[in-house]
Amino acid sequence: MPDPTGQLQALAEAARSSIAAAADERALEDLRVRYLGKKGELSQVLRGMGQLPPEERPRVGEVVNRVRDEVEGLLARRQDGLAREKLEAELRGPAIDVTLPGRRLAPRGHRHPVTRAMDDIAAIFSRLGYEVASGPEIELDWFNFEALNIPADHPARDMQDTFYVDGATLGPAARSGVLLRTHTSPVQVRSMQRAGQPPLRIICPGRVYRSDYDQTHSPMFHQVEGLCVDRGITFADLKGTLAAYARAFFGPGTRTRFRPSYFPFTEPSAEVDVSCSICGGSGRKDGKRCGTCKETGWLEVLGAGMVHPKVLANGGFDPKQVTGFAFGFGVERMAMLRSGIDDLRLFFENDLRFLGQF
Amino acid sequence: MRISYKWLSEYVSLPPADELARRLTAVGFEIEAIERVGGDLAGVVTARILASEPHPNAEKLSVTRVDRGGGDPLQVVCGAKNYRVGDVVPLATVGARLPGGVEIKKAKLRGVESFGMLCSARELGLSADAAGLMILPAETAPGLAIADALELEDVLFEVNVTPNRPDALSHLGLAREVAALLGVPLKPPRPALREAGGPAAAAVAVRIEAPEKCGRYAARVVEGVKIGPSPAWLARRLESCGVRSISNAVDATNYVLLELGHPLHAFDLAKVAGAEIVVRTARAGERMTTLDGKERALDPDDLVISDRDRASALAGVMGGGDSEISGGTTRVLVESAWFAPPSVRRTSKRHGLHTEASHRFERGADLGTVIPALDRCAELIAELAGGTVREGIVDVQPRPLERAAVRLSFARPAALLGMPVSRADAERILRGLGFEERDADAEGATFLVPSWRVDVSGEEDLVEEIVRSKGYDAIPETLPPLAGVTPSRPRDAEALDRAREALEAAGFSEAVNFSFVAAHELAAVSAQAPIALRNPISADLAVMRTSLVPSLLRNAAYNLRQRVDDVRLYEAARVYAPHPEGAAPADGPDGSPADEAWRLGGVLAGRRSPLGWSTASGPTDFYDLKAALEGLFEALGLAEVVFRSGGATWLHPRSAATAVLAGADGAPRELGCLGELHPTVAESFGLPRGVLAFELDLDVLAERARIVPAYQPVPRFPAVLRDLAVVVGEAVPAAEVLSRVRAEPLVEGVTLFDVYRGAPLPAGRKNLAMAIRYRLADRTLTDAEADAAHTRILERLVADPAVRAELRSS
Repeated sequence: MPDPTGQLQALAEAARSSIAAAADERALEDLRVRYLGKKGELSQVLRGMGQLPPEERPRVGEVVNRVRDEVEGLLARRQDGLAREKLEAELRGPAIDVTLPGRRLAPRGHRHPVTRAMDDIAAIFSRLGYEVASGPEIELDWFNFEALNIPADHPARDMQDTFYVDGATLGPAARSGVLLRTHTSPVQVRSMQRAGQPPLRIICPGRVYRSDYDQTHSPMFHQVEGLCVDRGITFADLKGTLAAYARAFFGPGTRTRFRPSYFPFTEPSAEVDVSCSICGGSGRKDGKRCGTCKETGWLEVLGAGMVHPKVLANGGFDPKQVTGFAFGFGVERMAMLRSGIDDLRLFFENDLRFLGQF
Repeated sequence: MRISYKWLSEYVSLPPADELARRLTAVGFEIEAIERVGGDLAGVVTARILASEPHPNAEKLSVTRVDRGGGDPLQVVCGAKNYRVGDVVPLATVGARLPGGVEIKKAKLRGVESFGMLCSARELGLSADAAGLMILPAETAPGLAIADALELEDVLFEVNVTPNRPDALSHLGLAREVAALLGVPLKPPRPALREAGGPAAAAVAVRIEAPEKCGRYAARVVEGVKIGPSPAWLARRLESCGVRSISNAVDATNYVLLELGHPLHAFDLAKVAGAEIVVRTARAGERMTTLDGKERALDPDDLVISDRDRASALAGVMGGGDSEISGGTTRVLVESAWFAPPSVRRTSKRHGLHTEASHRFERGADLGTVIPALDRCAELIAELAGGTVREGIVDVQPRPLERAAVRLSFARPAALLGMPVSRADAERILRGLGFEERDADAEGATFLVPSWRVDVSGEEDLVEEIVRSKGYDAIPETLPPLAGVTPSRPRDAEALDRAREALEAAGFSEAVNFSFVAAHELAAVSAQAPIALRNPISADLAVMRTSLVPSLLRNAAYNLRQRVDDVRLYEAARVYAPHPEGAAPADGPDGSPADEAWRLGGVLAGRRSPLGWSTASGPTDFYDLKAALEGLFEALGLAEVVFRSGGATWLHPRSAATAVLAGADGAPRELGCLGELHPTVAESFGLPRGVLAFELDLDVLAERARIVPAYQPVPRFPAVLRDLAVVVGEAVPAAEVLSRVRAEPLVEGVTLFDVYRGAPLPAGRKNLAMAIRYRLADRTLTDAEADAAHTRILERLVADPAVRAELRSS
């Protein structure tokens, strides 16, 4: 038998060029079978080894091993190369249309802007240490008026047009002097009576009712009441609290202004204005008169004051020992000013084209 | 209340109008509007009518020649008839522009040239009086600008006077505040009466039979008066404050009301039967006709001013027609009285009569102004209508003029306000407002309250006076310490928030509806008798809702009408009902007159998914709603909710379910129901078929919600998965099959992934295909163990008479 070394060299030579030329994995696999398979060319050489003189065998075996190693290496590298080319080809392919709309199985629902505002308000006051309190909406005259220093036949009752409940429809509990609360203030006295002792720091968000229905009045709307009672609470504390609230709700640049006013259940009392959230307090918007604040730069949003001694006493506190402040405001108005909503009625129409914006 | 800047300036020297408005607002008298008047009548001058002749071509017109104070007389055509030659009237010259926007041009009227227009008060925007030309006082010189001749220029303030300050409901009252505010002197009017003709007491007698309702009644008599129109300045002053001019005597009472704030009334003494005034409550069945022409049935609680025979005025509210001042009146009885506020308020409310007088009396008139106002009015009547004021006053006074005394601790203002307030400051401010200091010592002093300050009764009121004067701007901003505060959030608020989030994630937007609805709407979904309002806005808002469903259905119908096709809305709110029998409302801080319960309701209509290029989207059905609620229960940690067939009457009986929570005590609690609307309910709300709705008891959800979930170990060993398909009868609920699968201890979970009906299955049978996951917590489950369990399940399903399953042979 002739020396197979030359044959092996030729095999290696042919493998180098054919593997380099393999166009895909299938061709590469064919080459692997052709060179390294059981019936492959290298195996045939090996099979012929038996005919070689024994002293030749180690030398030829070494060449066979070298050629096999080389071919295996070539195949592996070519395999990597092909995989890389395939990936590169895939990455170079046409992009999907990213402008097609995303696939939404259900639309997102939206929280009502009034609830959203109340949630935000509750969160702000929670950071100031206030707890949420509540009370009935169908309320006793005593809690709604009398306990708040608004006796019967008092003109201050005209400040709030009241819905009265037909007492006969209250079933076994039928009684007179029952009404829909005109403000969240009855919760003041209820909370004081519940607490029994200072300190007390509550807010009460909720529905209130007044029999007034036109473009700017709704027979039902929402208020938030706040009450802070302790030893040594001052008007300065009230000012600081509401200023902090206004900055948190309307934005850090918001200013507050207190004006003397009258509420039967606070003394001294104040109306609180915030700098206009629409024009920033300048009174002018886009070179024109700001319609929201009527060019004054201020928006009246809150009523507040130091809790009247009679109210503290009705809540079971000694006005000589403790003082407190209270405040109240309309949530719809806050939401309108914050979001630039111009029609109160939108809040209760529940038009999804409105609700979906929040 | 309208206040004239010019009028106000008679009692106190004023800063410019804008400055005044700012300062008044800062001390609690909010200026809501400022109106500048009288400055826009350029080109209108006074003119004397020299001659007047009929128009040659028009019966209704006249041709006048007028003197406009220089140059040749002008020819002006005029349609009015109320003038005489020699009268001085306003002339709008060519080029003038009148308040209505009319520009005066040279014109030819029916062939006669006219060089201007003679004006009525209405044409000049000065009053509502259109009855002919405005006749000016005869001594007015022609050629004056009308604004100068009438002193028209003024600034009118709309002042918001809070109900506690009746003392400021007048020009003098507000001037008093301004004087204190600016530290300048007040110049009140000082009536100078010339009395003659015998004592008033000889002309009229006064008797008070209801002293608890009438604290004082004082009267004067003015005789020999001639009733006629008021002079222009007076009429204009009243009208600028919104009071119609009637006649000189009546206007005098109204003038004093606006000047001093005290309501007065003038009677024709000739019509006071028996020349006797009796202040008494009305008799049973008594009737009277008030000045507005209405006959009123009186209540025994009404206080009336009566003569010998009958009631002639509703005290403090409105006079009567019988004793009204008329053109023929010659003897006037002027009443100045003090009526108890609650009584006036009740009468005013009862008769629906809110008048300038009742507005002040019900807030509290000043007992100390009764006599000054009476004197001022008598003086004015004598001045305007001639006549003489009889000597003296008939004055009955059951309620003495006592001034309240309020103690102020000088440390109190600083303690309440949180800023330093010196004793000197406090004293200076209170003195300036008319308080008198008594019994001062090192700690405090007593302050006598001026009679007009009916609002001041306690120490806090004095502190308020001090802070009003110093201004709220002077108070610093501080925050109270947080000691003793527990910043916890109530469980129900937390649960409600999670419920909202779950529903919003399922595409539901939140609705907020009125708590009152129409009775018939409620009746469509609930048999419960609702709580009704005594004075509803309308029948549509008359009863307190016992269910959220009607409102939500109305919302859905509204949105569908607006062509919003996919509607998902929820509402979380209270419903209202009478307390059940036996559960009497506890009074006290936690009691309530009615039962108020929180509900969570919703409505669903339209497509399952928004219309899209890659989502097949059919109409929503029961299972979409159920999925949303399953998500809700999961968010609240309520895994054990089961759904039973059948629900409320407002649901379609074939597509309704009740969600039930197995109670911890074993007793199941119904959470509420869900399903497709009953066709007749849908129709009554204008909704199409197929709309879905639900209503749940939010109180139970909140009570049972697991806000902080309990930990379950994460599985450490692999699961074995096996599918199972069984054929069961159509009437067998899926839950019956699934619960039996879950009963096998090795089952970790089961998912129903297909329900098939139709060939080759016989009618009335359905195939349920399930993926079952088997697992052990403490070791790897073998295939053989899983297969054994799988076989056990199948055998149980086949054998159980409630299921009677067959293995699907495909």
